[in-house]
Amino acid sequence: MATYKVSFVIVGSDQPGAIFSMRNAPRVGDTVKLDNDLFEVTEVFELMPPRGDFHYYHATCRMIDIEKTSTK
Amino acid sequence: MSFKNNLQDVELFNGLTSVELAEISHICHEKIFKPGDTIAFQGAQGDEMYIITEGFVQVSIRQISGERIIVNLGAGQIFGEMALVDKGPRSATVKAISDPTVVQIIHANDFDQICTQNNHIGYIVMRNLASDISFKLRHRNLSEAG
Repeated sequence: MATYKVSFVIVGSDQPGAIFSMRNAPRVGDTVKLDNDLFEVTEVFELMPPRGDFHYYHATCRMIDIEKTSTK
Repeated sequence: MSFKNNLQDVELFNGLTSVELAEISHICHEKIFKPGDTIAFQGAQGDEMYIITEGFVQVSIRQISGERIIVNLGAGQIFGEMALVDKGPRSATVKAISDPTVVQIIHANDFDQICTQNNHIGYIVMRNLASDISFKLRHRNLSEAG
């Protein structure tokens, strides 16, 4: 079973980002929850070539403005 | 799911056989932390490596300007590995931030012994350790650039 190790970097926020493994590759538009805050994936690329069942990705994210989205 | 199956999802052990994973499982000790618990202190001597099997930890460093959180690590990731490689003091403070935060602990002596006794385990684990450090460096570079 494939494992996707992902480097998450948050732009425009104090959130330090994260590294964790997932069952599916991240995709642009995905929503990620870190430290009770929600982020949207805006960019994805392969960070290193895969080895065995392990894949290595980077995802750039931006914070989702809860107030704006909830008032739409 | 057995603990040995969980180890298959840890990159550090990618490439080990089922028998070798069983050997590794014998030197792992599970510990459960609550949010706010400090698992490792920057500057302290460390002789253990940690594998996160559930939850998240927060990695921070002390600077002149104060404490700076540098990354959160989640399931499948390792920390404390630098002390096993270079025998130096802990480079960062690591705190549990989720409830629960479950880690597997491997003691340096057990780690050295198993790598020495089985060269295949030693080669695979050291290669994966180098890959993990490389990944963290790439993450750090992208984080600094962002």
